[in-house]
Formats: sequence, C-alpha cells, structure tokens
Amino acid sequence: MVEPQSSLLSVLRDHLKLTGTKEGCSTGYCGACTVLVDGEPVNACLFFAVDADHRSVTTIEGLSPERGELHPLQSAFIESGGLQCGFCTPGMIMSALGLLLAHPAPDEAAVREALAGNLCRCTGYQSIVAGVLEAAPKVRGADAAPARKRARSRA
Amino acid sequence: MPERSGSATIGSKLPRLDSPAKAQGQAVYVADLQPQDALAAALLRSPHPFARIVSIDIGDAKQMPGVRAIAYSGNTPAKSLDFGIKDQLLFPRDLVRYAGEPVAAIAAETEDQARAAATAVKVAYEPLAPVLSIEEALAPGAPLVHPDWQSYEKGANRVTDRNICGLNRIRRGDVTAALARADAVVESSFIFSAGAPGYLEPRAAIALREPDGGLTVWCGSQSPYGNRDDLADFFGLDPQRVRFINQFVGGGFGGKILMAAEWYAAALALQCDRPVRLVFSRHEDGLNLFPRHGGKATFRSGASKEGRLLGMEAAFFFDTGAYVGYGAGTALIATMLASAPYRIPAVDLSATLVYTNKQVAGSVRAPGGPQATFAKELHIDELALALGMDPLEFRLRNAWQDGDRSPTGQLLEGVRVKETLEEAARAIGWEARRAPGRGVGIACSWWFSACGRSEARVEVRDDGSVHVHSGNPEVGTGSAAGALPLIVADRLGIDPTAIVLTLGDTATQTYDGGVGGSASTFSAGQAVKAAAEDVRRQLLERAEEALEARRDDIELREGRAQVRGAADHGIPIGELAAQAGTPIAGRGVTEEISDPEFDASLVQSHDFASWLAPSFVTSAAEVEVDASTGRVVVHKIATAQDVGFAVNPAGVVGQIEGGAVQALGYGLCEELQFGPAGIINTGFHDYLLPTIIDAPKVEAIMVESPSGAGPFGMKGVGEPPVTTPAAAIGNAIRNAAGAVPYTVPMTPERVWRAVKDRRDSRI
Repeated sequence: MVEPQSSLLSVLRDHLKLTGTKEGCSTGYCGACTVLVDGEPVNACLFFAVDADHRSVTTIEGLSPERGELHPLQSAFIESGGLQCGFCTPGMIMSALGLLLAHPAPDEAAVREALAGNLCRCTGYQSIVAGVLEAAPKVRGADAAPARKRARSRA
Repeated sequence: MPERSGSATIGSKLPRLDSPAKAQGQAVYVADLQPQDALAAALLRSPHPFARIVSIDIGDAKQMPGVRAIAYSGNTPAKSLDFGIKDQLLFPRDLVRYAGEPVAAIAAETEDQARAAATAVKVAYEPLAPVLSIEEALAPGAPLVHPDWQSYEKGANRVTDRNICGLNRIRRGDVTAALARADAVVESSFIFSAGAPGYLEPRAAIALREPDGGLTVWCGSQSPYGNRDDLADFFGLDPQRVRFINQFVGGGFGGKILMAAEWYAAALALQCDRPVRLVFSRHEDGLNLFPRHGGKATFRSGASKEGRLLGMEAAFFFDTGAYVGYGAGTALIATMLASAPYRIPAVDLSATLVYTNKQVAGSVRAPGGPQATFAKELHIDELALALGMDPLEFRLRNAWQDGDRSPTGQLLEGVRVKETLEEAARAIGWEARRAPGRGVGIACSWWFSACGRSEARVEVRDDGSVHVHSGNPEVGTGSAAGALPLIVADRLGIDPTAIVLTLGDTATQTYDGGVGGSASTFSAGQAVKAAAEDVRRQLLERAEEALEARRDDIELREGRAQVRGAADHGIPIGELAAQAGTPIAGRGVTEEISDPEFDASLVQSHDFASWLAPSFVTSAAEVEVDASTGRVVVHKIATAQDVGFAVNPAGVVGQIEGGAVQALGYGLCEELQFGPAGIINTGFHDYLLPTIIDAPKVEAIMVESPSGAGPFGMKGVGEPPVTTPAAAIGNAIRNAAGAVPYTVPMTPERVWRAVKDRRDSRI
C-alpha cells in the first residue's frame, strides 16, 4: 500500500528497496534522487508516488538490467572520471539520459543546462560534461538498435 | 624513475575500482542499509544559541507510543570528550551552547514516533545572551561561552583565556625595523565567512549492541578506527569488541572526521537489543555541521622599491564555535601559510581561536588554507600594485628556493614554487591582452603531507584473487579505491580489477588514522606497498623453486610468475598459493617518519611548526566582471601543483578539478549565515554550492618533484588544490574591475560595492 502523501523517492527506497536512487536534500535542490518518469527527469523526492500510477519509471537499477553490461552513459562516467564519492552519480546519469532521449546530439552548453539541477561536490563537473558528450553518440546507437540488442542477449 | 613491473603500473591512469558499482547505483551508503528490525532515532535539539538548562524531564516522552530508548545527560557518562581541551560533553548538562545542539536522542518503532516523542521531552531553559561574533567574544566583560574554562583539562600548547581557546605565534626578526626601512608598506584587513563541507550525503549511522557486550556501528566516516577508539573510550567498552563497518561515503571534505550520528545511535543502542538507525535530514545535517572556520585577518607588509619583501605582520582570528573540536589545526596552519612561500626576513604571524555560540567548526578540506591564502595573496597583490610591479614578477622575485628556510626555520628542499607559478601563468595566458571587464589573477601557496599510522594486509589466494585490507576508508577521493590497488597491482604484476578491497572495517585489524591532512595515499599507500612487497618477495621465493630459475630472472606479470623472456615458462600466482596450501599473505605498516627540524625559539604554542614533504601549488584564474551588477563569471582556473609523483594521475586530476570548483564556491557564493536564533541556511536552496553552470574550465597541471618521504616520492594531493583558486579569482577581479572586496565570499553585492567605493573615492 502506498500512502497518498508518499513521495516516489520513499516508495522506491523504503518500500521497493531500490536504494540506487539517493536522498540528498528532499527539497528538490540537489538532484541526487533524479529518476525518469515516462522518459522525463523528475526529482523523486518532490514527486507523489501516486502520480506515477500507470506510468513508466526508470531508475538507475533499470539502466543496465543485464548483469555486467553497462549502459554507455555508465561506461562514459567511469572512463572520464565523472564520479568520485558516487552519491550524485545515479541522479546525474538519469538526468543525462533524460537529456539524451530528448536531444540526442547536445552541445556542451545544452549538457550543462540539463544538469544544472544536479549538484556534485567532488569532481568540478568537467569530467561529467566530458562523459555525457562522449556517451551521446553511443546512446543514439543503442536506441537505434534496441530490438537487435534484446534478440542478441536472448540468444 | 620508480621501478615499474607487471600489467598495471603506478603512474598509469586507473579508473577507480569502485566506479562500476557507483555508476550502477549498487554502492551501498549507510542510509541504504535498512535492517528489518531497526528502530528509528530522532534528536531533540536546543532551540537556543545559549541557555541554561534548568531541568530535563523524559517522563512523558517515555510513555509515548513506540518509544524504546531515550538517551540524554541523565543516563549517559558525564565524561568530557577530549579534543585537546576537555570542554564538551556528549549531551549538555548545565548549558546549551549552540542552536541545534543535541540535548536528547530517542529511539522508537517508527521515525514519526521518535520525532513525536522528541517533542515530548520537557526541557526548561533559561535563555542567555549569546556570543555570536569574534568581536562580541573578545569585548571586555563579554559573556563566557565556557564559564568554567579555567577548570578544563587541556593538552600542552593549548592556550586558553576566557573566550579564547587557542593562540599560536611565529616570530622571526624585527618586523618594526624592517617595515621602517621599506619603500612601500601596505595594510589590509580581510573577513572570511564560515562555510559548509558540502558533501551530498547527509550523515547517518546504525548501531547494534552485540550479545557479548560489544557494539557494531555501520558508519560513513573518514576515520572509522579513530571513531571506534573515541566511542569505546567514552562508553567504557573494550575497543576490540566495538566494530565500525564503514560503508561508501557520499563525500566528507573533513566534515565526517568527527562523529555525529554515530554517537547518538550508539548511546541509544546500548539501551536496547535492536539496531538503532539514525539518518539526518539535510536540515539536521546542517544543524550538526562542522563548518569551515569563519574569521578575520589583518596583514601589514613592506618591500623595497626593487620588489624585495622585507617584513610582514599577520594576525588571524578564527571563530571556532561552541567547542574546540578539531578547530586548533586551522589556527596552526594559518600561521604556517601566512608568509609562505616567500622569503621574508622578518615576520610576526599569529592566530587566535575564539569560542562563540555557533556550530563547532572543524577541519574542512585544507583547514585554514583557503582563508589564509585568500588574505595573504590579495595582500601580496596589493603590495605589488603599490610598487608598480607585475604580481607574477613580484612573486617570482620573492619565491622560496632550495636551501631557504621557512619562517620556523625548517630547511626547504625540492622547492617548486617558481615552476608552479610559471606553469599556471602560461596556462592562463598571463601576458595576453584582454577585453575590458576581463582580468587574470594568480595565487600560490604551500602545503604538507601528513603521515599517520596505517596498516595493511595483502593476500593472494589459490584462486588467483588478491585481497587487500586497509583501514583507510574510501570517502570519494580515490585514494583507497584507486591509488592503493594500483600500488598492489604494480608490485604483484596483476590486473588491478582482480583485487578485492576491504576498506575501513575495524574487524580486519588494519588500523588507519583516516582520511585527513592529505594523508591517505601517503600513509595507507606506504602500508599497502610494504604489504605487497612482502607478498612479492614470498611469491618470487616460491617461484624460484617451482620454476627452477634464479630469482633475478623471474618477473611477476599478468597474474603469473614467469621467467623473463620466456612467457611459456611460468606459473599463475594463485597456483603458487595453492602449492603453499595457504594464502600468501603480507602485512605492512607505515614507518615512523620524523618531522623535519625547526627552530623552537621562533614559535609559541605551536605543535605543527614543520611540514613533512611540503608541496607547492599555484592557481591562476581568468574572470569577467560586470561592474554594474558585481556579477563575476570565472572562465578558467589553471592549477599547477607539485604532487611529488602522481601514483594515479586520474585521481590527482580529479582532486585538482574538484578542488578548483569547491574553491570557486568558497570565493564567490558559499556563506553560512547566523541570526539571533542560530544558523539560518542549512539547505542547498539557501547555502549555494556551485552548479555545473558556474563551473569553469579547469586545467590541471602536475609538477612532479619526488619527495623522498612518501611512497614512490609522492606528496599529499587532496588539500592543496582547494587553497589557491579563490585568491586567484580575487586578484583577477581586481585586475578586471580595479577593485575587489576583502571579504569572502565575493558576492555580486560585495563586488559591486567595492568597485563603486573605488570609483567614488576617485571623484
């Protein structure tokens, strides 16, 4: 049972035990709890769980469902050094994915604009921007061939 | 060049081992642990900055639904915590000394029940006039934050006098005479606001009393072993039965060295037989913060018309809040930075630590560094401008060189001030002509490498896996998850991703002093290196027999011991462990390295007067200032840092880039504000961390001059890059707009006022 006042964040973390989504401030300012609802990034701490009824919610756990296989954004963050303490990382990656789904070939300014609601205290952001720009073409490729990829993984 | 071997070598770029888990949301932080039978905890905090506690009554609260334990002054030890001055109790008894100070902790079945019960604890207060600034604290007849200050036990070198809880001084030569001889003398006064560490993960802890009388604490700490010892000592427990299990830490920056949530979860857990889980909200974390010290400083220096510095006076005052905590380091470091890295024949440098009724200031990343460097480097620019000299040229002319002595008489070797100045200046384009409204600034400094006790264990098992135990926790810096495995991989010739790391779990019996003082790779790296070399020696010994070859002809490479030049004549190292019938294990410990010598006659009450393996750092910044609004846009920061030797360059670059943006926040937008009722801005909506939009391009330049003391010649890396950028930005603002506020943060309003005042004064 989900209480009417429950946030999507508390349902994810406390009820479903999907703790990959982080709670940094619970007031919508740090972005650590960013998830996608119908492909759009939202702060799960400010989003009523009941409003997610019959909608698609994607969390960091849903990004690389097949064990060991990383999403291009995850690989790019690792390679570029776009994470240190890792606490902002799930939200940062989900915001970046939201951007790439809407704008598959963003420039640097668009990346910065899209991630302006996600705080990171460790990296200085430069490596995060580099990671998103690096991942963009690969995410485009992955989107173009989801069916093929699924077929391959079944085989 | 250090010896290189095997598949992954020190000095190559290694993505941190924890990054796949972090990128997938699988890294577990304390608040991610949700034991099924856990009780939830809440704290009752003082609403007053300063008040007498008349009475505390927990009677009603105990009867509230779901309540299982209440901890407060009435049922916890009356012992003082020991941070050099025994001025703090776990729960206050007679006086509360800051708004937000925990007075009681409650454990209940649900968080709502715990919070409800907290409001039912009846505390009768008699509010007192609080001391909210350094000026108020030092005014004649000021109320005493600690009326009993004279009765406190304290360590050597701790100076106390009413609201003063620290005072140190460095004096060399005759400053008055030197300034009288000078062709130019300038005096400048600075104000530093207090700042937050700014980690994204609010503090949390889970504690469970064990049937054997011990205690297990799940924490996210920078210093699990130190915390364990403090906690065991306070509650009278056997430290060997107290286990701290560190989880991933969502950033520390010095704010998670001392315990907060751990104390209260433990105090409650000792009263029940279920786990007690305490997770701070962002607001509560703000109330329980260990901020960067606010304060002020006055500098007066003189130079000859040829541009030689002759004398300098500097006096710092730091607001350390309600208790001394880890505040002393800030004042000690400030005097060490005040005149560095310059040759100045006569100096008089002092720093005073002052109690106020505010949150307890701590050792935020490079404690004292950004403050002292901001004041000193803006002051140096002011003197250069008074002499009509280029600020870079002025610095180069006065910079330390090999063989110079520090103000405390330490002999300086491997000095790289000049190189870092030149590299940063080149990267920013110092000589380039710039459009109106644009400017450049430069700032340099020095820092230390701290060597704390650290132990490590490295073990090769028969399946070929390599297990590394280090007490050093991974808080995000990449020392433990990047540099340490790289060192092991280098020594054993293995792929670092084959390493299984166990970090910061006191059950592994590998003591470590924790993350602080840029000590992690410097200290834990030494221990891990020694342990790995012990294993390496044993592997080669066994391989000699197994391969019937001379040891000198055997190399460890790609997980195998093999005869050099004959890749097919080898054996997997796991096989060597299997033949041994037991894992091949080695232990390592840091060697005692004595601090460099200094001249004790030059210092007063100073126990950090010489610095091990000092490093040198320069930042240069390019900014654009809109004089009509005071808005500052930082286009670029270039930081050139002497790192000794970069064990993992990927990690070093991450520290320099991240440090630059933290420092930008310190310089331009971060300011803890205090009103009559205490701290005002505890959230990310009113305490402004730099966002990705504010962050400039950062160029990280590594200058390598091996230290002789650190493993592979490295020096401490984490703190220096946060010390210089704010000062470089300040000097760039003056270069662009003709004026700069001598207050950090340099907010648009302050910049606008500084520029306007300068224009007005010219009319």
